[in-house]
Amino acid sequence: MKGWLGKYLRINLTDKTIKKEEYDQEFAHKWIGGRGFAIKHLWDELKPGVDPLGPDNKFIVALGPVSGTPSPMSGKVVVAAKSPLTGGYGDGSIGGKMAHQLKKAGYDYLIIEGKAKEPVLINIEDDKIEILPANDIWGKGVYDTLEILYEKYSKQHGILTIGQAGENQVLYAVVRAMEGRAGGRPGMGAVMGSKNLKAIVAKGTKDIPIADSAELKKANSEGLKGIKKLDDEIGWSKQGSTFILSWVNEVAALPVNNMRSTFSPDAWKIDGDRVEAAKVGRSGCQGCFLRCGVAVLDKEGHHAELDYENMALLGSDLGIFDLPQVASLNYLCDDYGIDTISGGAALAFYADAIEQGLIQGDFKFGQAEKAKELLKKIAYREQEGDLLAQGTKKMAEKIGQDSMDFAMQVKGLEISGYNCKFLPGMALGFGTCSIGAHHKEAWIITYEINETDRSSYGRDKAQKVVDLQRIRGGLFEVFTVCRYPWIEIGWPLEHYPDYFNNITGLNWKLEDYNEIADRLYALIRAFWVRETPDWSREYDVIPKMWFNPEIADKEGPIAGKVLESDKYNQLLEHYYDIRNWDKRGIPKKQTMKELDLEKEAAELEGYVSLE
Amino acid sequence: MKIKLKTFGQFIYQSGFREKEVTIPHSITVVELLPLINLKKQFPMIITRNGKKIGHDDKIEDGDRIVIAPFFSGG
Repeated sequence: MKGWLGKYLRINLTDKTIKKEEYDQEFAHKWIGGRGFAIKHLWDELKPGVDPLGPDNKFIVALGPVSGTPSPMSGKVVVAAKSPLTGGYGDGSIGGKMAHQLKKAGYDYLIIEGKAKEPVLINIEDDKIEILPANDIWGKGVYDTLEILYEKYSKQHGILTIGQAGENQVLYAVVRAMEGRAGGRPGMGAVMGSKNLKAIVAKGTKDIPIADSAELKKANSEGLKGIKKLDDEIGWSKQGSTFILSWVNEVAALPVNNMRSTFSPDAWKIDGDRVEAAKVGRSGCQGCFLRCGVAVLDKEGHHAELDYENMALLGSDLGIFDLPQVASLNYLCDDYGIDTISGGAALAFYADAIEQGLIQGDFKFGQAEKAKELLKKIAYREQEGDLLAQGTKKMAEKIGQDSMDFAMQVKGLEISGYNCKFLPGMALGFGTCSIGAHHKEAWIITYEINETDRSSYGRDKAQKVVDLQRIRGGLFEVFTVCRYPWIEIGWPLEHYPDYFNNITGLNWKLEDYNEIADRLYALIRAFWVRETPDWSREYDVIPKMWFNPEIADKEGPIAGKVLESDKYNQLLEHYYDIRNWDKRGIPKKQTMKELDLEKEAAELEGYVSLE
Repeated sequence: MKIKLKTFGQFIYQSGFREKEVTIPHSITVVELLPLINLKKQFPMIITRNGKKIGHDDKIEDGDRIVIAPFFSGG
């Protein structure tokens, strides 16, 4: 095989065994890499109902055939496990240096099992794999941990680590890389922490088998030049993703005060222009110059790397419109290893529940200093922080009354930075995302605003969500490369199969990946159903607040409007129909057969009847 | 008549402003507005009026807030 190394490591932290295992071409072509490898192993190897924070859960770090190669923006890895936040399939993709180093070390992925007795780190240097004590870094924040690991190893090593939030099993603790990279929103950092695994370090020196190195080199060079030219024309890198904040505010889709409002007259105070003016640095993954991490100084003088989601959930959704303070909250989340989106959403929900009189507490929207104190309590799971550390769904289950109506989550994962009070298609994107409410797989707001009727619940919107899920949640997640050049500045999608073909020697076309993406979505859905005894389509439905006319905007472009439950359910039916899933949102037997998932369908039938 | 304008992305650098109030002739369309602020239609644009989509041939009205952003597909 070219492109795929055909090798992975199975590392058991309980008995300290390390096995080098192999896979064949059939497996590679069927699952491709990244998320594909992850869901296949988790489906096959996890006992249904396994405790996500117990030793029997497995933590996977996976590359794809394109990641870690000399192709544009290919420095990403997928981290995956059964999620402690949602109880379903969880994953995330993280940029940094791990992809290149792990691939050069000779491994396409890692499966980490068991639980170490004491804190450990895994060090991988080509054929040398060590499980080493990590008592010196356990208890430390991400920034101190990185400094120690840079000193002990080097800045060129690939490093994945967790902060105190992961160690203390905050259910939305992330895995961290470099100074500002994070991934694995549904608690992948907590899974590492539950295994007493503080960090993974890798350095490789081997050649990567590429089918046509000359063509790849040419395509890479043209790609880098082309992307740079586009970025120079557009100026995207000047503000990174933060530029979108004011636009989202203009069209009434900004999360404000736990998404009760869709815009704020103060949004400009934390927008991309303000970030650009305050910028003190930029950073990106290995081999990337479309560097999305825009650093500003926070209130305490730290370099804090901002992007839009952080600004929205730690800024406007908390009613905080002070840029250095938002940067401080971002810095603290990054240092503790808290997901900025879920962390912000948990704080917003807490402030809202207090304001609604459903719970006693000392926190109001707009209180940045209190928010900082709460983030620390979350990271250490102290006092009320222990409640907030469980995410909005579990918080609402404990608070009771009607609090679940305004717990802004789907399947237990907090909704990211787009307020869909009147965006039916984007709401469907959140409702059907395969890890819970994340924007990473389908983002159709510009389509809804510009290309079609915002108020429509037409089948075209369901089709658009599926189309984007196939690319963003399929192709990019199995190649395991960054989607930003395509989505943010318009680098043509057609180049990506070219990179893959140059690497593997195959001749696959863009449309060939649809079936692979559909297979992944069907198996991920099967995983959710197997793990969820009371599975129903309700798991794909968005929070009731977006259907509540009482919270409709009083002014602005969507004044008086909210989503309609019946129509949302019709849109969901279109989505199921396009995917050939049944009305419960479960893939049909024939669908699974056509996707070469016959064996998996037979197993799923042990848990639920299939149409 | 007076309108408010806001630009995003490359349109900031092409037009030379981020946000401003301008006086424009009555009854002009979006297409007619663009050259007045040094913008060309060569890049895909999303143009909104008061937060809602406005067609390129729609007439701009007094007091409108016109926002011009590049077409992007988000995070």
